[in-house]
Amino acid sequence: MRMQLLHLYWNEFRKRQKKTSLITFAIAWGALSLLLLMSFGRGLSNAGSVSFKGLGSTMIMVTRGQTSKPYQGLPRARRIHIHMEDLELLKRQIPGIAMISPEANNSHNISYRGKESNRSVNGVYPCFAEMRSQIPAAGGRFINDLDQEKARRVAFIGWNVAKELFGDSNPVGKEIRIEQTPFTVIGVMKKKQQSSMYQGPDSETVYIPFSTFCQIDFQRFLDRIHIRPADPRDALFMENQVRRVLGRKYRFADDDANAVNFWNTIRDYETGAKIFKGIEIFLSIIGALTLLIGAVGVTNLMYAVVKERTREIGIKMALGARRRHIVMQFFLETFAIFFKGTLWGTLIAFNIVSLVNLVPIGYEDFGIKAYLLRPIFSFDILIVFLVVLCVLVFVSGIFPALRASRQNPIEALRYE
Amino acid sequence: MIEFRNISKVYKMGEVEFVALKGVFITVQKGDFISIMGPSGSGKSTLMNIIGCLDTPSEGSYYLEGKNVSGLTFDQLSTIRNRKVGFVFQNFNLLPYASAYENIELPMLFNGKKGAERKARVNELLEMVGLAPWAKHRPTEMSGGQQQRVAIARALAMDPPIILADEPTGNLDSKSGHEIMEIFSQLWKGGRTILMVTHDPAIAAFSKSTIRLLDGAVQDNGAVH
Repeated sequence: MRMQLLHLYWNEFRKRQKKTSLITFAIAWGALSLLLLMSFGRGLSNAGSVSFKGLGSTMIMVTRGQTSKPYQGLPRARRIHIHMEDLELLKRQIPGIAMISPEANNSHNISYRGKESNRSVNGVYPCFAEMRSQIPAAGGRFINDLDQEKARRVAFIGWNVAKELFGDSNPVGKEIRIEQTPFTVIGVMKKKQQSSMYQGPDSETVYIPFSTFCQIDFQRFLDRIHIRPADPRDALFMENQVRRVLGRKYRFADDDANAVNFWNTIRDYETGAKIFKGIEIFLSIIGALTLLIGAVGVTNLMYAVVKERTREIGIKMALGARRRHIVMQFFLETFAIFFKGTLWGTLIAFNIVSLVNLVPIGYEDFGIKAYLLRPIFSFDILIVFLVVLCVLVFVSGIFPALRASRQNPIEALRYE
Repeated sequence: MIEFRNISKVYKMGEVEFVALKGVFITVQKGDFISIMGPSGSGKSTLMNIIGCLDTPSEGSYYLEGKNVSGLTFDQLSTIRNRKVGFVFQNFNLLPYASAYENIELPMLFNGKKGAERKARVNELLEMVGLAPWAKHRPTEMSGGQQQRVAIARALAMDPPIILADEPTGNLDSKSGHEIMEIFSQLWKGGRTILMVTHDPAIAAFSKSTIRLLDGAVQDNGAVH
């Protein structure tokens, strides 16, 4: 295609640009809708997955239960408790456990210089931090292996506990009391979004080494065991393994779903992610349909343009234009309309996304805002958008262009 | 150069068939200047359209420069229209959004001629038809005679051996018409083959022979003036 020919086509297009302004607006509107819906959908999906990870995204939690069916002559409705020894048993019998931690908790009085508060105190292993996405804020740390081994009196506290007892001052290194026992604060939990929980938010909790917990608060049973499989894909398999091993020890059926309870965040996460992905796709389809309406408008306009310029097409054919010269002209015009419209739509969408992201949201008011005010305009969204766009440009441009090129030159020349 | 062997053209309008040409035999030698005359509906335009490869015959064979062109594809016919034939229409048929320069350049764009070559050719043609100062003007800013001169320049852009003119003076006053016919005479003297449809005996007088058509058949083939 000659540059001069493109230049001529461009001139012919420019002369009627006023007629195309309305349809350009429709395309801009469609592009804007598609991009915004995709970006907000992605933001929604992302907020969902971030808050799932607040609990820990690859973790199986085991808690006590009650048998729901008789087994080997034993009645139903027996309480099944889990014990510290079960930890070693599971580790020994189930391959592929990457991390395992007990958790026991009780409510205790916490005090610092006369300020008091009643909080849940939980005894855990060091690996608990990673499984449960507990990251220490700068200047602090979580419980380590030595703390656990020596049963040190150290505490890692949630940010709300810190705020309540210490206000704005730094709690790290300070001494708090749990009941009457002094503990050194070694770290404060970094703020995080958490949408699922089992005994109150992590921000309200005090964590101490499991060994220390056993010294200050004797409990016969564990409240929970947390397990992370080496491969997240083994989540379901591992759940069944744990049920089988514990079933043999405490004598309940392999298929007794209530004898011990599981919270499988991996499964939850996958289900949740699928739901959010579904919403994201649904929103994108709505956006694409809006753009489709614009595209139908372009096709309509191009048919009218072809009709209006029938005679010019005839002239060009008489002068030796081949079919592709004619097809190309009308196809390029469609492309030009789309290009102009989507350029505007994309610019506006991009600015809206950037502006909305400037709205501040705190972790405290985590909720609807986090889902709606953090749209994401990512590279893969752009790719999807461009693919949709190319398909629409092609489909809406090719038919009018083909009609133009298939005219009979004589009839086209005679057209008034 | 142009040879029609038993050419017929039938248009179908629903149930009704309209015979535009029936069994036409004509031969045009290189360097002929022929006017085609006849009443409306006698098949003059159809004859011209077939010669110019804008239309295809229903029956018979058409040999252009010894080559049978019946049965060629649209794009092959486009190439023939581009290189072998220059059209001049009654109503000029210039592109309204293009300048005189761009209109003349157009046939060369479809052929892919180089930029410098195109520029030289357009300027040469503008000079020849006496419109060099009007290069940047649009057709709407020109008189009928000027527009037809642009159209002639455009027809000559690819230096075709054949010029087909369909009532070239039909929309012009007699003075402009005369000027146009002078250009055609010049072109004929330059060695081109010219076929021209006209009603006007005064215009036909410029040609060297006449083909008379009546009801799609040739009445008087090549009577020399």
